[in-house]
Amino acid sequence: MNPAAPSDFVLWLTLAVMWLPFISFLVIFFITRTRLALSLAVSVSCASISLLAAWYLLLGLPATHPPVEFKLLWMAGAEARISYGFLLDPLSRLMLCIVASISFLVQVYSLGYMAGDEGMAKYYSFLSLFAWSMISLVVAPGLLQLYVFWELVGLSSYLLIGFWHHKFSASEAGKKAFVMTRLGDLGFFLGIIVLLLHLGDLSILKLNAQAAAQLSAGLVTASAVLIFMGVVGKSAQFPLLTWLPDAMEGPTPVSALLHSATMVAAGVYLVSRLFPFYAASPDALAVVLAIGTITMLLSSTMAMVARDIKQVWAFSTVSQLGFMLMGLGAGSYFAGVFHLTTHASFKALLFLCSGVFIHHFGSNDMYEIAKNGGRRLKVPMITITIAGAALAGVFPAAGFFSKESIMGALAELPNPGWLAAGLAGAAMTAYYTFRLLFIVWFPRKIETPQHQENGHGDHAAHSSFGYWAMGVPLIILAGFALVLGFFGDWLLNFIHWGRPPEFFHHVWLAPVSLLLVGCGIGLAWLEFGRRKAAQAGFLSRLPRVEALFANRWYMDAFYRRMVDYVVYGFFSRLFTLNDRRVVDGGVDGVCRATVGGGWLLSFLQSGLLQYNLFTMVLIIALVGLYFLVMH
Amino acid sequence: MTAAFPYLSLIMLAPAVGMVIILFLPHDSKRAVRWVSLISAAVSLLTTLYVWQAYDRAAGGLQFVERTLWVKSLGIYYYLGVDGINLPLVLLTSIVLFTGVWTMWDLQHRVKEFFALMLLMVVGVYGVFMALDLFFLFVFYDVSLFPMYPLIAIWGSTRKEYGALKLTLYLLAGSALVLPGILYIYFKSGLFTFDLVMLSKAGLDPDVQYLGFFLFLFGFGVLAGLWPFHTWSPVGHVAAPTAVSMIHAGVLMKLGAYGVLRVGMYLCPQGLVEWSPLFAILATVGIVYGAFVGLAQTDLKYVIGYSSVSHMGLVSLGLATMTLGGVSGAVFQMFAHGIMTALLFSSVGHIYDSTHTKMIPELGGMAKVEPRASFFFILAALAGIGVPCLASFWAELLVFINGFKVYPVLGALAISGLVVSALFMLRVVQKTFYGPKNEKYAECADMRLAMIWPRAILAGTILLFGLLPRLMLDTINVGVAPLVELFK
Amino acid sequence: MNSLTVYLFVALLIFCIGMFGLLQRRSLIGMIISIELMLNAAAINFMAFNRFLAPDPSVGQIMVLFIMGIAAAEAAIALSLILALFRKLRSINIEHARDLKG
Repeated sequence: MNPAAPSDFVLWLTLAVMWLPFISFLVIFFITRTRLALSLAVSVSCASISLLAAWYLLLGLPATHPPVEFKLLWMAGAEARISYGFLLDPLSRLMLCIVASISFLVQVYSLGYMAGDEGMAKYYSFLSLFAWSMISLVVAPGLLQLYVFWELVGLSSYLLIGFWHHKFSASEAGKKAFVMTRLGDLGFFLGIIVLLLHLGDLSILKLNAQAAAQLSAGLVTASAVLIFMGVVGKSAQFPLLTWLPDAMEGPTPVSALLHSATMVAAGVYLVSRLFPFYAASPDALAVVLAIGTITMLLSSTMAMVARDIKQVWAFSTVSQLGFMLMGLGAGSYFAGVFHLTTHASFKALLFLCSGVFIHHFGSNDMYEIAKNGGRRLKVPMITITIAGAALAGVFPAAGFFSKESIMGALAELPNPGWLAAGLAGAAMTAYYTFRLLFIVWFPRKIETPQHQENGHGDHAAHSSFGYWAMGVPLIILAGFALVLGFFGDWLLNFIHWGRPPEFFHHVWLAPVSLLLVGCGIGLAWLEFGRRKAAQAGFLSRLPRVEALFANRWYMDAFYRRMVDYVVYGFFSRLFTLNDRRVVDGGVDGVCRATVGGGWLLSFLQSGLLQYNLFTMVLIIALVGLYFLVMH
Repeated sequence: MTAAFPYLSLIMLAPAVGMVIILFLPHDSKRAVRWVSLISAAVSLLTTLYVWQAYDRAAGGLQFVERTLWVKSLGIYYYLGVDGINLPLVLLTSIVLFTGVWTMWDLQHRVKEFFALMLLMVVGVYGVFMALDLFFLFVFYDVSLFPMYPLIAIWGSTRKEYGALKLTLYLLAGSALVLPGILYIYFKSGLFTFDLVMLSKAGLDPDVQYLGFFLFLFGFGVLAGLWPFHTWSPVGHVAAPTAVSMIHAGVLMKLGAYGVLRVGMYLCPQGLVEWSPLFAILATVGIVYGAFVGLAQTDLKYVIGYSSVSHMGLVSLGLATMTLGGVSGAVFQMFAHGIMTALLFSSVGHIYDSTHTKMIPELGGMAKVEPRASFFFILAALAGIGVPCLASFWAELLVFINGFKVYPVLGALAISGLVVSALFMLRVVQKTFYGPKNEKYAECADMRLAMIWPRAILAGTILLFGLLPRLMLDTINVGVAPLVELFK
Repeated sequence: MNSLTVYLFVALLIFCIGMFGLLQRRSLIGMIISIELMLNAAAINFMAFNRFLAPDPSVGQIMVLFIMGIAAAEAAIALSLILALFRKLRSINIEHARDLKG
């Protein structure tokens, strides 16, 4: 289908969504940085206008609105023409809305969370930069523009993760995130170049519609897998998943943004964006499915033993992203996108709730929070439970429906192993989610209010404004986490332009998965919830397994060693030595040889001028003689 | 097309006149010396901007041409002109000169001699970029090299005599290959002219081109930091004073690449076709190697020096692809890298002046102590690792695409260098600017407001051409397109 | 006897005498005088060629005038150098000026 040009109204509206955050970034960073209130006003107002426009684009236009495209030539090399513009189709409209909403809510929330931080204005400018790059990524009409903003998303998350860079761990985490995603991006970039050299045009619509016909099957698979490497990096999939848990060194609202709608969602978004292209290659889809499954299982095990509240959510993000990729890999576009949508709402909520606790108690440790009376904070406590239920897939929260659709897609596959893995993952998700919830709900020992007051005193920002700035986004998100699930059919119609493919509901699937979820919750109750529970998981009886899980399957250690021994220890050291010894040594050798030669020749110099003259005359005479004889 | 007014001569002679005036100023009038240098640099910059704006991109080709017979019997012309290839480089020189002079405002030691030598060097640089006569090109080439020795040996730091000597010897060795190359072409062409444009149309014998390109490749390649002739560059950068590092890494290294491009590739296109595999291999090794060696350095300036080796490898790779995109990317990379490195050295210069150290382990937490200097350094470092919307991203993109197209294996290797360079730049940023601050330097002063401006100009240039790459690329493409035809 | 060869032989003779003197004399003044002889031999050659071969007689004369000028300048410079050397070494014997020994 040929995309139409947008009407003027849609054009300006979309440009507003895209550019307001960037304008806000520029204004804050270069002009108003020293004036906090003004900066906040600029940032939040830009975000809210952008939000309204995004919602209008989602709901105000009819669902069957044909895709519109708008392009300007951004850079023209001979082979690579990068256009800058936007492509509005159901998927990008949906994602645009998610990004704008989450970033707006995070901005509002940060008003309370970051109050009193000396770098607050800078923080807001980075948030705006983040929103800008993600929005431009989402609406990108071509792969090259998508790549450009893909990298910018990486940069902004580097800046935000390392926002408190005076802490060593924060700057280290930022660096790790950047370098590890860069590693995946290599594949992405190569994939883009391969496509570019063979197709000459990287427009997403054309790619989806025609690539399969124009390229050989092997080439499609190769480029799809290469591009998927970028997704592996960005969405923290196996084997590049270890940067994401470290990324929680950033301020908690940043984690919420990073984990729900922006950074990591970009990877899954890319696969959905190119879904018809991927669907043309069953092998590529199989890779997506396999990587998704491995990641999902691995990270669920890691989440089961983590003590740090944010780390649990981080691992759960990794595993939920694995779920989405499983859905996409199983061939169900809708399932992946639906889970992406619902996940954005409840994962943002989980992090924002945790942020309230962390802010309040000054600790990330879930036992610590429980001990200090976390459950006294009513709003976050209730909302975190809703979000947890959604994450675990409890009816009627949103996660239940989207996970159901993924399971449905998995059940379609000939190999029942995938479905079994998915169900096992769902059970584990329920277990680790409720483990955390029970620990916080039912602390073993409730501290005296006295102790709590100390906790309060540490932070300046406990004004009622701060409280509500943080509370309102929680309530809004909780509403979404509750009701989004019921919009599945609407979404199905929407993203398929009102022509949904036949979709199978397996009647037996819902009870089975609910039963497994129930088992997970039950186990968590037995171990952490009930009055006599020791609050130690069954894994603590298997110390070696626990250590394996807690150390992230030793992946970090492996990477650390690789970097230390191979990069620093081998290549870097070897090349440096080569530089000193061989290259410089060679040059110095030439110099020494020259000096030595001069020293030898100097013996010919007697210092008596007339000897030199005599030699000269002699040689001229000989030359003259030579010519005389020759002629 | 001949220019009505000699704009190009004005660009080149403004620093020369400035130098002469400085020589006649009394020794103790430091203020006057600075102002004269700054004004002459500003005249060059403004004229360059005018030429940049007035260059007719639709017509293309050489413009603002000035051509006067100099020595008839030898066929030497005073021949200046700009096209899409050297116009960006002239702009680069003007920007770096202007900001460099400004950066050195606080210099106290032998001010007069410093600025006089610096202006002399820049006259040579302008000459090389704009001259279209081989004789003048070579003369200017050497004029731009020799002031380097006193500039480093007198005002430098860290093993300055060694660095200065090494640098001078290397570069003179390079020009010892260039001169025979020029004479070889001169005699073999049978035209008895040094006019580059005429020589390029001479249709030289492929064997002549083969040898000629070899001489030019390694002669100019030394100055371009081509691996394995690169070790002078980090040592020289480290030893040189701030502005000299800026001009040296920012502009002088480009002279080498420009020489390969303008002399080697214009005169001996068939030679390039023959030598391009070797050229590409050396370039790729340089990219990866420079990044790995940079990873092990503990001196800020060494790190930048090796990053320059890596980035100049990209330029070489782009040239070796012989495609429109690749060569345009290479020219763009010369410009972008010049600005970026100048900014890096300029920021490090401030840090060194205030803390008297540039050893990475001794610094730390500088972002809190000197936020302005840190901002500029980090911005330039991000440009260096190819963050989009900063100028060098586009250049790298073009080079990588075409590198991969022409040499798939080498291209993929070069692309993997991106990860290493990200690792080493971010490591430096982390160790130097992040983390807890070193109390010893907690009281060090940040940049004065006036000293922000030169850095801001550089940073603004990076951002401007990063957000609007067509401003630069459309010009470059005009110049490169006819060149690429030669390789067909 | 009025042929080119005769003039050339005379010039050659003078040149050889000058060269011999230059190589043999150890006194700097003697060496300068020898150099003058050699220059004059060259001048004679010029005049001879000019007289017998050249269509335009003025060229050789101009060259000779140049040689005379250069000879004068050279003598002046050389004498001043010798004076400077004498002040340093208290001698004009070339064997005392052997600082260039390697």
